[in-house]
Amino acid sequence: MTKPVELPQGTLEMLILKAVSLGALHGYGILLRIQQISGERLEILQGSFYTAIYRLERRGWIKGEWGESENNRRARFYSLTTAGSRQLKAETAKWNDMAAVVAGILGKKADEI
Amino acid sequence: MSLLTAIRKLWRSIAPRTQSDVEEEFRFTLDAYQEDLIRRGLSEEGARRKARIDLGQPAAQNETYRQAIGLRLFDELGGDIRYGLRGLRRNPSFAAVAVLSLALGIGATTAMFSLIYAVLLHPFPYADADRIMNVFGVDERDPDAYTWLMLGKAELDEMRLAAPVESVLGFTLANVEITGGELPEDIMGYYLTENAGTFFGVRPLLGRNLEQSDAENGGHSVVVLNYQFWQRHFGGDPHIIGRTLEIDHASYTIIGVMPRSFAFNDMVQVGDVYLPASRIPVVNLPSAATVPYILMVKLRHNVTRAAANSVLEPIAFEDLKQRTGRIPDHAHLALQPIIWIFEKNTGTTLKLLLSGVVLLLIIGCANCSILLLARGRTRQHELAIRCAIGASRWRIVRQLLVEAVVISCAGAVLGVAASYWLARFPMLLSPDSFPAESVIRINAPILAFSVALALLCGLVFGLVPALRLSRRDAAPTLPGRQTGVVAAPAKHRWSVLIAAQVALTLLLMATAGTAIHSFLVLMRTPLGYDPANVMRVGIGLHNKNPGEWSRIQPREARIAYIKQIQEKIASLPGVSTVAVGVDATPPSIGGAFYERSVQIDGTGDHEQPQARVTLVDQRYFAALHIPVRQGRIWDADENIRGDFIAVVNQSFATRYLSSSKALGRQLRIPGLTPQNPYQVVSAQSTAWRQIIGVVGDERNDGLDHPVVPAIYVPYTAVMQTDAQFFVGAQGDPLNYLNSIRAAVASVAPDQQISTNSFNGTLTLNQALERDAQYRSQRLFSILFGVFSAMALALALVGIFSLVAYSVAQRTTEFGVRLALGAPRKHVLWVAARIALVSTAVGIVVGLAVDSFLGAILAHWMENTFAAASLIAAAALLGLSALVACLLPARRATSVSPTEALRYE
Repeated sequence: MTKPVELPQGTLEMLILKAVSLGALHGYGILLRIQQISGERLEILQGSFYTAIYRLERRGWIKGEWGESENNRRARFYSLTTAGSRQLKAETAKWNDMAAVVAGILGKKADEI
Repeated sequence: MSLLTAIRKLWRSIAPRTQSDVEEEFRFTLDAYQEDLIRRGLSEEGARRKARIDLGQPAAQNETYRQAIGLRLFDELGGDIRYGLRGLRRNPSFAAVAVLSLALGIGATTAMFSLIYAVLLHPFPYADADRIMNVFGVDERDPDAYTWLMLGKAELDEMRLAAPVESVLGFTLANVEITGGELPEDIMGYYLTENAGTFFGVRPLLGRNLEQSDAENGGHSVVVLNYQFWQRHFGGDPHIIGRTLEIDHASYTIIGVMPRSFAFNDMVQVGDVYLPASRIPVVNLPSAATVPYILMVKLRHNVTRAAANSVLEPIAFEDLKQRTGRIPDHAHLALQPIIWIFEKNTGTTLKLLLSGVVLLLIIGCANCSILLLARGRTRQHELAIRCAIGASRWRIVRQLLVEAVVISCAGAVLGVAASYWLARFPMLLSPDSFPAESVIRINAPILAFSVALALLCGLVFGLVPALRLSRRDAAPTLPGRQTGVVAAPAKHRWSVLIAAQVALTLLLMATAGTAIHSFLVLMRTPLGYDPANVMRVGIGLHNKNPGEWSRIQPREARIAYIKQIQEKIASLPGVSTVAVGVDATPPSIGGAFYERSVQIDGTGDHEQPQARVTLVDQRYFAALHIPVRQGRIWDADENIRGDFIAVVNQSFATRYLSSSKALGRQLRIPGLTPQNPYQVVSAQSTAWRQIIGVVGDERNDGLDHPVVPAIYVPYTAVMQTDAQFFVGAQGDPLNYLNSIRAAVASVAPDQQISTNSFNGTLTLNQALERDAQYRSQRLFSILFGVFSAMALALALVGIFSLVAYSVAQRTTEFGVRLALGAPRKHVLWVAARIALVSTAVGIVVGLAVDSFLGAILAHWMENTFAAASLIAAAALLGLSALVACLLPARRATSVSPTEALRYE
């Protein structure tokens, strides 16, 4: 089994946006999808998970609507709003930039400096 | 549809989700997780447990939700508020005392603020009211004395063109009569220059105001009605526009009704009807050009009054010189904002009263602080638990402050409701001190003021207890519920609060004492006449009705007419004396011959004696019980002739004559000439008159000024268009009013007795109560009396509850002391010590502050700050504080030692 990764602050929200961008999901579905995509390597603190969802919904980046789950129960499905997709794009670009810079610095060898 | 739907939509987009909604979603997640766990092989019970451990309880989820979207602060505040309200409900006597303490202070302060707002900040409905000026003539040697300047039409038009002036309104006031009905009714009319509509810029309630075109063709016969008159005379008929009203036997079309707030001109008397100036009757006047107008000038933006004064003065004085022949020395023209008169007369009063209520409010706040501190001791256990389970100090301070604000808001709600009536109180006591146009109502600025006041109060009185109680070292260790026999910890904050409260209360009481003292002094001032059971009844002659006027215009006819009415009234049963006077109602005798230069035989021209010429008949002195000091009063024949004789008052004799030789001296009043075309004088009114008598000094210049020298002359010397009868009766003269009215009507059916302010029916006691000084002194006495009574009650409640609380807290201690043999006296002293000492300190501080403030107060209240009333106030305060201390302290001595120790 691969080692679990701890999530840096603020990235959970980005991951939720990404998960929802692939199609409407209920809360537990989002959790499962993130774990699934990450290859079970992410351990998400359950408490902070819903806090993040509530906050995203309040900001209008995702939209919750009641629907029916795969086992015919009422569940709340979240989908990405236009503002949310804009936000996801911006966050992704920012993350990639930062990752590239950090990786670039860390990847330098002594003679390259 | 749309608005409601839109609001609902908006609300749904911003409203937080409901608790059941959040919980249902969470439950679904919980179940889904649990099923997954079972699928992975856990037992059902094990999966349930693990799901709840990993995800949390559904019941707590709503809290997570609200915290996530930033509602936690509101929730906590809401909780604190609910908790505060519960605390108040649990402890109703505490709640009642605290809320009432504040309601008194906040109510009184709000009332005073709304009064100040209405009177000083926003009294007039006119457009650009701050640029509208009254035009006064002032004497530079005595800038406080002012006279209204009156100018002719030509000067008025000239002023309109002056650079600093935007527009000018000219007006004259006149008694006019509504005729055409069964009985004529005399009302107050204002003739306004026809630019009145644009000058005031007040939208009429109905129809239109006067406009320039109303001046065409010698003036349109149109009339605008005052709101009160419209209500009174037409019952507020909304279809009144276009109907006609007969005024002075001419028919006028009603074109407008002014709104309630328009009460022009409350500086003199509020008008009933407003008429175009072009309609001023010019009967007996040389021409319309000679009609004198009182002015209101609206200055342009950014023009200083000094600049305007210097431009307008030459215009005004040129006219004055042409009409009167000379300009008085040291005279200047002065523009004053229309609010000035009220500011001058009422401004200081209001400021004093405001400081009074602010003191009251501070005392109320101190009271609440004391109560909270005292109650806080019983709450230390609860606060310690809160600390122990992790509340920060800030959290506890916040909770205590919220509770304080809950109290102050409850007080504010009560107080604002009360202020609606409280604000009317000073106006009822002293109606003429405030502009009639200033209507007191609770409006947005006033509400904002009281809400801010409530929050401020809550913070102010809550802060000290909150900081004190939240201190960790003040909180005892958890399990010990203050059961020890240890004496209570130092309470110097209570003592400071009590002392401050006592000092402030003393300040208020001393002020009240001073006000009451000077009012009593004023009431005891010798009047020089007896106002009891004497009433003034005035009549106005019908000088506007040409037919009738020609009948009574000649001097002899007028004298006979007045004499006939006088005799009719005198023949009524119960009426003892009827005298005649013109503008001769004490204590302020004025009128057309206000101040006149007098020539006295044997004195040079260098001396210029001035005297108040008072027109009366020979019975006046007996009717008012004015004593004759020397000589005699004129008889009936001399009264009809009107010439060659005069009576002077004691002040005149002392000042201008060596009083022993007053009788037989000659004097002349050159100014005793007709002042307007309606007046008619005796054959030789300005000739030399012999002084035949000297009478005692009757108050003639108000209660606060010394009696001025006066000359009494038969009223027939200068016959006017109105006269007053002084009716002495057995018992209250007002009871005879109906029969007097009938007696007057029996002489001439359409002769009414006057109802206006300067000629209307008035008992001499009422006239006394109208005196400005009397009114303001009475206002001060009553209001400060009430304030200080409230303050005293508050302070006593504060002291009482402090002692009562501390006795209740220290029951065990007192039990032990008694068990160990302490004398009851000693226990009493221990129980009451702190409160007694701080009260004593408060009184000493208060005395010191009062003697320091005494000088300032004395200046403001225009009378001396009496040391006697200060001592009396201190004694009263000390005594009642002693009682308030000892009553609850006695409970300490009645503690049964065994019972007290059983608590252990």
